Amino acid sequence: MVDIPHKLPAVAPSTESALRVRLRRVRELSASVLANPTTVLGFVLIVAMISMAVFAPLITEANTPDPYQMPRDWGALNEPPGTDGFLLGTTNTGGDVFYGVVWGARTSLRLSLIVVGITVLVGVLVGSVAGFRGGKFDEILMRLVDVFLSIPELIFALAIAAVLGPSFGNIILALAVVFWVKYARIMRAQVLHVKANEYVDSARIIGDSGWNIYRRDVFPNAITPIIVQATMDMGHIVLVGATLSFIGLAEAGLAEWGVLVSEGQAGISAGRWWASTFPGLMVFLWALAFNLVGDGLRDVLDPRTETAR
Amino acid sequence: MTSVGSHPTETGRRDVVLAAREVAKHFPIKEGVLQRVAGHVKAVDGVSFEIRRGQTLGLVGESGCGKTTLGRVVAGLSEPTAGAVLFDIDSETLAAYDGGSSVGDIETAHKVDALTGDAYRRFRRNCQMVFQDSFASLNPRHLTIDIVGRPLRVHKEASGSGLTERVVELLEQVGLGRQHLYRYPHQFSGGQRQRISIARALALDPELIVLDEPTSALDVSVQAQILNLLHELQQANDLTYLFITHDLGVVRHMADHIVVMYLGTVAESGPTSAIFENQHHPYTKALLGASPDVDAAEEFTGLEGSVPDPAHPPQGCRFHTRCPVATARCGWEVDDVVRWIEDEPGAAGRLAGVKRDSAFAAELAFDDAATAAVVVDAIRSGRIHASMPEAVLKAESRDSRVDVEFGAVPDVELSVRGPGHVAACVHESLLDL
Repeated sequence: MVDIPHKLPAVAPSTESALRVRLRRVRELSASVLANPTTVLGFVLIVAMISMAVFAPLITEANTPDPYQMPRDWGALNEPPGTDGFLLGTTNTGGDVFYGVVWGARTSLRLSLIVVGITVLVGVLVGSVAGFRGGKFDEILMRLVDVFLSIPELIFALAIAAVLGPSFGNIILALAVVFWVKYARIMRAQVLHVKANEYVDSARIIGDSGWNIYRRDVFPNAITPIIVQATMDMGHIVLVGATLSFIGLAEAGLAEWGVLVSEGQAGISAGRWWASTFPGLMVFLWALAFNLVGDGLRDVLDPRTETAR
Repeated sequence: MTSVGSHPTETGRRDVVLAAREVAKHFPIKEGVLQRVAGHVKAVDGVSFEIRRGQTLGLVGESGCGKTTLGRVVAGLSEPTAGAVLFDIDSETLAAYDGGSSVGDIETAHKVDALTGDAYRRFRRNCQMVFQDSFASLNPRHLTIDIVGRPLRVHKEASGSGLTERVVELLEQVGLGRQHLYRYPHQFSGGQRQRISIARALALDPELIVLDEPTSALDVSVQAQILNLLHELQQANDLTYLFITHDLGVVRHMADHIVVMYLGTVAESGPTSAIFENQHHPYTKALLGASPDVDAAEEFTGLEGSVPDPAHPPQGCRFHTRCPVATARCGWEVDDVVRWIEDEPGAAGRLAGVKRDSAFAAELAFDDAATAAVVVDAIRSGRIHASMPEAVLKAESRDSRVDVEFGAVPDVELSVRGPGHVAACVHESLLDL
């Protein structure tokens, strides 16, 4: 045999621990996320808007009995911004635009969290089973997904919400029905890709169970695109939700940006720009913020760039 | 004979750690919307061998010959389509199995894909594997301690600080140490990652390790280190290896026995010394010529062309399409003519259609009579292959059609060439050629 020593030079033992190494990795990852100024801008916007949603009752007094209904003052129609008591003016039915903007953030947060929560959960579950198990279930499921994906998402959501009747709850339901498919497909593709890695074979070779292989090898290596997509969708869903309420699929008078834009649009030609502009700007900022952060996460979490770190 | 599976709970006593008997693995080719099975890729097509305790079997062949598929079947990662992989069996029981007695009982006790419960767990512990791609075989999100300690956790061998100490011991055995415990795979070099894979494979103190091209992805100097390490570990731990490689030179010093595979079947198999001293299959000879670090005795025509489609393996001897010493008895068939027409540019015109009666007889249709005449001439004159005129029974043109028929040749079987040495070649010896 060729005579080359296989022992490597000794290095002084370190005082590492698994926890410390993992914490350092989290720190490194966060640092690289925050190294990108546009991502930081997105984060700041998100924190500001979520704070607005969370602290809405402290910012403006909650309307009774339903705080998600805009208060109306029939004696103060079409007041411009800066009018005493109406910071951002009123609509042509006396709705307080400032109240609508602040509580609209709460409505949007509720909408996006519920829809993203349900769709990610269902999509990841379905995609995982389809990809990890394969077989008949996978085939039937993917045909179903093809059918869902052949209908444009907005039209599909519109149809469902229209059939169920105008209410914000139905918009949530419609969006959940439409959006899980995307996650199921991403997750299935990811699981199939990860499953082909030899570390999965290695885990089978040492005799680990299917569930453990999924939990320890497949899921953690498959989930990052879902995280990125979910972040983006936090913004996207508010956009689609506002579109649906703009065309009248939410209750009238709901403190929601799309409803408010719709209420204000009649006045735009008459120079009453404020009732539509402020909620419209909020929708824009909300979608922008989550997109910026989603993009930043994608750059950092992409496994191809991760290995080089 | 000894009673079948006499000591079901004991292991490590029997002399044959693993035996493959006519193992086949066929993958269906699915076509169309309905995923109809249109044929099978015969990746492994009837391979037999056995590995004795403490020995190394070198499984050698080009990429695409089925050696990795066979390795995966042996390691229990995929089930054989036919045949049996028998684990931990003594020679007498194996002889009885080969003789056809108590087949069912022996399979229940030893056949890898039939094992259940404790017997399966015992196999799983005792048969480990090291893969070629050290990066793909380590979970990028796991630390070294998680990777090497995982088999111990799964089989509840150690936990807590006991686990850490066991992992350190294993790392030291492969030339790494405590300072590497808390690092991610990407923080290591290729050679170091392969050491981690080996440490993981050693963790359960297995009897057999399947090494699937463990050094192919490494630098030459690192290759030697890893080979030395594997050799030392074998001595120290009484390990049995199935060493899969495309490079005969790599296993020359490690293997006790070599199996050369070609297109899913065994071309030649024998003790390492016999294989290196006197090859009985031209494919083995070509493989030896292909390794620059092995001094081939004489100049031998290198391998031309690529491995044929394993969905349609050649008749007779599967190697005849590329063999430098092919004869009329090697299985010339319709496909050889078809391949010549398609592959030799300008040699003959376009082939319009083939109507097969068998692999050896068919009617070929061409666009014009001239092309048909050229093809008949090529077959008869030996332009396609010098030994083809002797094998052809009929080659006649009728206008733009050609009737061609070759003498049917059975598959070339393995024949004994020396003690433990078999080869599947029509030549008695290659020494005079």
